[in-house]
Amino acid sequence: MTLQRFNLKANILENIEIRPDIFLMKVSAHQISQHAIPGQFCMLRSNLIDGYDPLLRRPLSIHRACKKTGQLEFLYRVVGRGTKALAKHKPGEKVDLLGPLGSGFHVKDHEIPILVGGGLGVAPLLFLAESLPGRKGVVIIGAVTKSQLLRLEPLRETGLEILLTTEDGSFGNKGLVTEVLDRLLTNLDNDAKRDVAIFSCGPMPMLRAIYHLCQDQGVRCQVSLETVMACGSGLCLGCALPARDGYVHVCKEGPCFEADQLEWE
Amino acid sequence: MAETKIDAAQRSKINLKVDIGGLILDNPILLASGTCGYGMELADLIDLKSMGAIVVKGISLEPRQGNPPPRIHETPCGLLNAIGLENVGIEAFKTKQLPWLREQGIRTIVNILGNTIYEYEKMAQELDGLAGVDALEVNISCPNVKEGGVAFGTNPQSAAQVTKVVKDACSLPIIVKLSPNVTDICEIACAVEEAGADALSLINTILGMAIDIHRKKPVLGNVFGGLSGPAIRPVALRMVWQVARAVSIPVIGIGGISTWKDAVEFFMAGATAVQIGTATLVDPSTSEKILTGMVDFMLRNNYHSIGELKIRE
Repeated sequence: MTLQRFNLKANILENIEIRPDIFLMKVSAHQISQHAIPGQFCMLRSNLIDGYDPLLRRPLSIHRACKKTGQLEFLYRVVGRGTKALAKHKPGEKVDLLGPLGSGFHVKDHEIPILVGGGLGVAPLLFLAESLPGRKGVVIIGAVTKSQLLRLEPLRETGLEILLTTEDGSFGNKGLVTEVLDRLLTNLDNDAKRDVAIFSCGPMPMLRAIYHLCQDQGVRCQVSLETVMACGSGLCLGCALPARDGYVHVCKEGPCFEADQLEWE
Repeated sequence: MAETKIDAAQRSKINLKVDIGGLILDNPILLASGTCGYGMELADLIDLKSMGAIVVKGISLEPRQGNPPPRIHETPCGLLNAIGLENVGIEAFKTKQLPWLREQGIRTIVNILGNTIYEYEKMAQELDGLAGVDALEVNISCPNVKEGGVAFGTNPQSAAQVTKVVKDACSLPIIVKLSPNVTDICEIACAVEEAGADALSLINTILGMAIDIHRKKPVLGNVFGGLSGPAIRPVALRMVWQVARAVSIPVIGIGGISTWKDAVEFFMAGATAVQIGTATLVDPSTSEKILTGMVDFMLRNNYHSIGELKIRE
């Protein structure tokens, strides 16, 4: 096993609330930035937590990693006490950071990638999109409403084709990302379908629908999953999810899985 | 890696060596079963050889899949888990994990568990004499599986029976890991000592649960789980104090130890060694920091050995 993980205190460079309860944190973590691949995550714990409550670090997918500057970005929503503590941080303060962790997305050389993100599911997809310079590909981003479409600017800068959809029709197409994806796939002939692959992150019902769609259309699909974790590093076996052959651990075999390896019902 | 290293000259002033029922370890800081995998899962993050020993994830005769999710839930200053003893089984352990541990020179205590007395006996026979196995920790206290495990550990007769069978089946030092989910832990401890245990480790997790009030159902897939972390430390410390005074074999303290100060408390209560568990999940380098902090405390306060820390009435 050749794991290259780093356990360090990272300096916070920025921590901005870009939407209500949604934050973009930029940290300096040179070693992690050199080894991170798109789809991987880190475990973070605020140094503002005095004592043991909350106890555990929180898993956040790597939103962006820059080898040149040694910087990492995390896009996160405040959902509980761990992320609430992270949200209070100001530049110059520190977080405990362990990473990079888990498996990443794997885009094969010949593939035309289609990235599909719902809501905060865009978090790991920007890093993936930025790792595909000069490649042909599509990014489909969906949200409930316009104000919840996140990070459109840096996504546009990747040069990939961007398709946007909102459930209320306030911006872009009206409807779900799965409807956009369905139309896109249906318009491809069988040869083209063999060359596309889906890389998706978002709420579980969305991922389930995408999995079924890809099964029907015969298209390869990778999904990035989120679960509660204790260690994030393969020690506790707490993040098990049902798969075709028993359980898989989201922190170790995942968070990016071939969708057809998982048990979806 | 630990932030500060104690230099060799300073460190030579104190003797960290401990004797755990015939198992001699360079220092008394161990990694607890179920929180350090089989070592390789941690090898890039800490120097495992600098630990007294690691206690590997509990092994059964056959591989186990573990419990349905959710398996973990954070509680105030603690962690509820119901992993369900997911493990690779003894054959895989012997051919894959154990050779690696041996090659690395990592002192290894193998935690074993079974559904029946026979399974414990078979495990002990299979591990006896294998290079790389330094001792066995007999798990009679896991609260998260329906059969076996805890059933043996909550009754003095069956706890003694498992201990005797394992002791007779092999020549390795035998550490019996005790459950706190009993009325009188000293009664179990004494029965196990009399049956031939070389040492005791305590406590395993405290049985607990949590309910999701929005879904109106228990949080954990297994309904009940074991509570660990700083929340249980005072309970563990009290039990170590009691058991250390009830038996004459060494006691290994476990339960929420997260800093060197916590470890010192357990040594003062009478522990010969300690295991670091949940704290490793929070920060993989905790055990290294504890070792460094302990040495520093002992130097500053003129303690020369672990035994000197014990409070003697």
